[in-house]
Amino acid sequence: MNNSFPRLIDGMCTTLRQEVLSRLDDEFARGQVFGVINLLNTFKVRADWSAGFLLQQISAQRKALDALADLTAELTTTPVLAAPTGGAPSALSSIGELLTLRDDGNRTIGAWLAWFDDSRVDMPPETAISIERHLLLAMRAEVDIELKNAPRPLFAEMSSGQEA
Amino acid sequence: MNLVSDDALLARKIAAYLSSQTGGRVEIGAIKRFPAGFSWLTYLVPVAGLPGDAGRCDLILRLGPDYGLFAPYSSMPEALAMRSLEGSGVPVPRAFWHSDDTSIFGAPFLFCEKKAGAPMVAWVPPGSPPLDENFRRGIAEQFIDALANLHRVPWQTKPIASLAPGMTPENAARLSVEDWENRMSRWAMRPYPLADWGIRWLKAHAPVAPHVAIVHGDYRTGNFLEVDGHITAILDWELVHLGDPHEDLGWASLPMYMGGSKLISRLAEPDWFYERYSEKVGFEVSMTSVRYYQAFSLLKLAATHMAAASCFEEGRFNDMRMPAMGSQIATCLRQMAKTIESTP
Repeated sequence: MNNSFPRLIDGMCTTLRQEVLSRLDDEFARGQVFGVINLLNTFKVRADWSAGFLLQQISAQRKALDALADLTAELTTTPVLAAPTGGAPSALSSIGELLTLRDDGNRTIGAWLAWFDDSRVDMPPETAISIERHLLLAMRAEVDIELKNAPRPLFAEMSSGQEA
Repeated sequence: MNLVSDDALLARKIAAYLSSQTGGRVEIGAIKRFPAGFSWLTYLVPVAGLPGDAGRCDLILRLGPDYGLFAPYSSMPEALAMRSLEGSGVPVPRAFWHSDDTSIFGAPFLFCEKKAGAPMVAWVPPGSPPLDENFRRGIAEQFIDALANLHRVPWQTKPIASLAPGMTPENAARLSVEDWENRMSRWAMRPYPLADWGIRWLKAHAPVAPHVAIVHGDYRTGNFLEVDGHITAILDWELVHLGDPHEDLGWASLPMYMGGSKLISRLAEPDWFYERYSEKVGFEVSMTSVRYYQAFSLLKLAATHMAAASCFEEGRFNDMRMPAMGSQIATCLRQMAKTIESTP
């Protein structure tokens, strides 16, 4: 996901109050909506994004960054980059810390891309191919993990307002 | 900016504005806001008292609110496009008054003609029945022909020429990529290295355009009106710009707009689409350029979803469809990467 967990909860509660309850007359149905709002607010204070999901993304980044460091160790021009340090994070890290680590890893990969664009002409072709392959693996891994953890989108339902 | 959100007050302000513009007494009936869209707000405005033949008619008012998907807005591109296309063979509503002065209605605005018809739905649930074959083919022909007509407009002598001074067939792709790179840098709430990689690839492989044309920017099913099998108007010109005509082909042929079919925009078999378009527009479609612009379109779609997520996160807009769009960034970037990697 690209939005913060608390903002999504707030948005859902606001929508239920302003867009659903304001159009709903049935008392039982209104009670159900208030029950959902109560639970959403509970999630807001007790839940957050999945650590497992972020740990997978961070692990894929670090694997690729380690491989890139090995590949470029013997090049005369090596990238001067701030790679993530401190070993692999644990599942006990806070979600905020994991999100920061994931984003830092992505910034590092971005810096590798910029360096690679400038430097590839000066390196052996097989090294360039390997570097590009590892960068792509890392970048693909992030979106693949996200897609594996995504439900079927409901664009038809959202645009028509009707159950498919 | 303080958008006028009360319909009765907005109607009074519209009456006062149109009276001042026409020098007569203009009266406004009950205005109605259309529910669709994430960007500009669209209203139906019944008007009486306009001079000439249009004495009593319905107008469309578009307002670009500061909380919209692509805010901040300007009415200029859409107005310039509509004026440039009058008499061109592209069915467009006629543009009337427009301004970016937010003291009038609280947002940039554009008044234009109300055309008959209803939009065809772009997204349909899986397993939906296909369109009637005769209807589909007829609409598809008009859809293709209108696009070819758009791309043949001699824009150099039209108002829209002011949008991109200095654009050439050689720099059209790069300028457009840089425009979206700038947009993405405003909208992205976190780093997306796959998007960076896509931008680098697009800059390195920019094709030369057959010529610089008016590009609609969002040409697809859902953005035209149809009545009894006739396309009456091409709508939603907010992303209009000058560029490579292949850019519209790449966008219209995105898998997201196929509605579960294998048809471009749920309408046209790809081979026939490109063949008919080539005949009508007067140049041979380059499939290399189409694939390039498909990859670029997927990047643009990812950027649009970034805008949706950002708009919601900042609290500018609480529409829950915005974060749902934001959840599709990975899908678009993955498809962009696949498109690039499958390019010979």
